[in-house]
Amino acid sequence: MRSGLALLAWIGVGVALIALPHGLSFSQQEILVFLTINVLLVASYRMLTLTGEWSLGHVVIMGVGAYASALYSKHFGVFVPAAMLLGAMTAALIAMGLSYPLFRMKGFYFLIGSFAAGEIIRLLWKRFREPFGGVKGITGIPPVPDVNLGIWDFVFFDPISYYYFVLAVVSFCLWLMWRIERSPVGLTFHAVHWQDKLAEAAGVNARAYRTLAFVIASGFAGLAGALQAHYIGAVNPTSFDIEQMVFVLTWAIVGGTATFYGPILGCIVLTVLNEIVLRGLGFEQTRPLIYGLLLILSVLFLPKGLESLVGRVLPRRATSRTRAIIGAEEKA
Amino acid sequence: MFVNFFRSGLSRRRFLSSAATLSGIGVLGATLPRKVFAQDQVVRVGFLAPLTGPVAAWGKPGLDGCMIWAEWINEAGGIDIGGEKHRVEFIPYDDEYDPAKARAGATKLIREDGVKFIMMLGGDPWPGVQPVAERTGMLFSTLLPSDLSPDTTTLIAPAEVHPIYNVTGVEWLAETRPDLKTAVICAQDDALGLPSVATYLAAFEAAGIEMLEAPILFDPATTDFAPVVTRMLARNPQIVCLDTCYADYVHPICEQLFQQGYEGQILSCTADFYEQIIEKTSKEFMEGFVFQFPDFDDPELNADFINFQEPNRFYEEYAQRFPGQWGAVSWEYASIMDLWKAAVEKAGSAEPDAVLAAMTEGGTAPHAFGEARWWGRDLFGIDNALVGNWPVIAIEDGKARIKAFRSIPDWYDKHGELLKKHMAAYNQLWDQRS
Repeated sequence: MRSGLALLAWIGVGVALIALPHGLSFSQQEILVFLTINVLLVASYRMLTLTGEWSLGHVVIMGVGAYASALYSKHFGVFVPAAMLLGAMTAALIAMGLSYPLFRMKGFYFLIGSFAAGEIIRLLWKRFREPFGGVKGITGIPPVPDVNLGIWDFVFFDPISYYYFVLAVVSFCLWLMWRIERSPVGLTFHAVHWQDKLAEAAGVNARAYRTLAFVIASGFAGLAGALQAHYIGAVNPTSFDIEQMVFVLTWAIVGGTATFYGPILGCIVLTVLNEIVLRGLGFEQTRPLIYGLLLILSVLFLPKGLESLVGRVLPRRATSRTRAIIGAEEKA
Repeated sequence: MFVNFFRSGLSRRRFLSSAATLSGIGVLGATLPRKVFAQDQVVRVGFLAPLTGPVAAWGKPGLDGCMIWAEWINEAGGIDIGGEKHRVEFIPYDDEYDPAKARAGATKLIREDGVKFIMMLGGDPWPGVQPVAERTGMLFSTLLPSDLSPDTTTLIAPAEVHPIYNVTGVEWLAETRPDLKTAVICAQDDALGLPSVATYLAAFEAAGIEMLEAPILFDPATTDFAPVVTRMLARNPQIVCLDTCYADYVHPICEQLFQQGYEGQILSCTADFYEQIIEKTSKEFMEGFVFQFPDFDDPELNADFINFQEPNRFYEEYAQRFPGQWGAVSWEYASIMDLWKAAVEKAGSAEPDAVLAAMTEGGTAPHAFGEARWWGRDLFGIDNALVGNWPVIAIEDGKARIKAFRSIPDWYDKHGELLKKHMAAYNQLWDQRS
């Protein structure tokens, strides 16, 4: 009975997501595309934080996926969806390379080390005009080829078509990440975070698991970057600077990272607030001020993030696992 | 706190007090005086530029200037389109200097707000907007002609041909101060800095001024300019050129030059909020500082060949409303509107293709600083940049003053090959940009 209701709920969510763009204005459809991509980005960031490490280079890794996919498709003529996958794999490979020096550090040192690594990559993009385009980046990136399925003509310049494409990709990726977190590997990520000494005593190679989380998260971030690059048609180093990283951190902090949906909730709420509500109310130029004020208020009054609000309003929905994680965080 | 709010529910007292407050706000809003316009018809213009963030200084003052422009035009009866008067309305959208947000903004302005023309700062956001421009045929303007290419047929650069006008400052300096023979340049390593470096190198070479070392390119994230300035001064230059540095760089670099005892000539593309630099250094130190953007209270702007409407009054109004905020772009977007208005009235239509045709007819158009011609095929692959005279400004006794107007086309006719050589060296020709 309960699983049937859950299935119905998921079907309802699916129908709502499919119908959603048709109820939005043209510009809101554009924002919806970027929001969906950012959901993948912030969910991948949470995967990294499962092992207890917070990175300041995640947006740069997203950029690696964007640049790689752009170069594969533009210079080597790789079919765009294949280039996106290759871009994601390149981001994962770069993360693997970075993990060797970075995971010699932990905590705050890892945070600063990841920032430095990210800046090195960004400076390389700026310095080498071939092949990265220097400060102006790469423009004229091929779009996803249009597809006619009979029932729907997918013209991917159109935000609704691209939203459906992105929604399918992001949904699949979220499902994968969900499965990974629920697998023994995911449980080990949690163990490395909360009880790393105990886990190591039990034979877990904590560094290897931190690397694994970093590589998987980077692969998904790279895919998010590729999705964005082929929609906008351009990438440049500024799009992946520390300012963008602060947004990702903010989504994660305001949403909370104890649950799978926490950072996603943060991303959705803050994006809608910043891009739709505040713009719609005419606060075009005072948005940073109001946005900052709301962040301070949310940290003051919701220190455990929006997910804690959901957990308390709908206490029966919180799983025992979620409660256990929140409980562990409270103890920590 | 929020949880308690939800849990406590909505009491009768809370409901009544909230309803009374909302009603009060509604009544207040309804009774506030509203401006009544004579015209019923409105033509909308989009303003898609950074209004927040680090590049806002080149967007926000322009919007402020446009609002003054629109008020004046509307008070004078509006724009005549095919014999009917139309009120002008600006619809701003903050693109945050980001291509993704610029794309969303362009979509909103075109498909939801029904604008007939969109003004942009240009630069990084343009590639995000270009596909929208190509598919909709919307007329866009940019302040950065480096966005131009043979594909950008509906993009024009009618206000400034950055950075080509910088040659006028070097040319004037070489004529008035022939004793200055050596120079150094520093610039941020970005899309604004690099073409400007190439232009200054060409201008210095044309003027016989020797570069003491290769231009120093610093990262845009730089905040400590002491090492940059120390390195420049180590060569004992007669001219320190600040290229097209943002105000956030010009100010600290000038402070450093002052603190490190530099007494030579300073040359820059912009000197936004120069009063603040004078406060941080001294009037004597800033005396003779040469740059390219005038204050519009300058009497020289009352000359007959100036096409900008009432520049002195515009400056006075701007300074009154936004004290201390006059900058390089305060007048530029408004000057584009002058050009657009003339083209709309000439075409009898606000439709983008008709306006563009009217604007470019005959190959010339009235630029703010005099009659100018559509130009740019050599550098940008398309003649969509309006180029003519440009002023050279120097600070005298703490105030910016126009020293001369120089012709950019005349300089280019003599030294164009030099400019192309240096632009090519920095990969800035249109066919070198990726």
